[in-house]
Amino acid sequence: MSEFLRVGDNVPDFKVETFEPSKGDFGEISLSTFKADKKWTILFFYPADFTFV
Amino acid sequence: MGAEVITVSTDTKFVHLAWQRDEKLLEKVKYPMGSDPTGKLSRMFGVYDENTGLDLRGTFIISPDGKLLNSEVNYYNMGRNIDELMRKFKANLHLAKHTNEGCPAKWKEEGDKTLAPSAKMVGKVYEALK
Repeated sequence: MSEFLRVGDNVPDFKVETFEPSKGDFGEISLSTFKADKKWTILFFYPADFTFV
Repeated sequence: MGAEVITVSTDTKFVHLAWQRDEKLLEKVKYPMGSDPTGKLSRMFGVYDENTGLDLRGTFIISPDGKLLNSEVNYYNMGRNIDELMRKFKANLHLAKHTNEGCPAKWKEEGDKTLAPSAKMVGKVYEALK
């Protein structure tokens, strides 16, 4: 794999801590869970909270 | 919409909570807000700015079997358009079911003309799209 992922690469599993507005609570998501559920994943990166997205 | 949407920044989950609670614009946002304070995930996708510690505006679509299918990165000053994202996502759904087809530039939604590349089509794409 190159320095970072390119289109067509298999994405290694990742985990991130989350705040989940629907539950009003903290959580954690992982790619392996979405894959197990046969779900598409859309990652939407943005610079910082309290700015426009 | 049929996909798990995760928003990610380098803020902590505590800041996410505070922002979501205080900003009225976010009242209806239900997507999990991912926290990547170390930049590990952001570096993996090449959106981590080492100078500022912030993420560029990157959007990535990953298929259910874990393959990266789309990658779009905008500089700080350009917001993203949900219609552009939806077009790509819908095209992915179509192509996952019709693996011998391609969605051309003007494909917008299910029912629009697709292409099935073949020897016959070489030099005849204009006619195939008519």
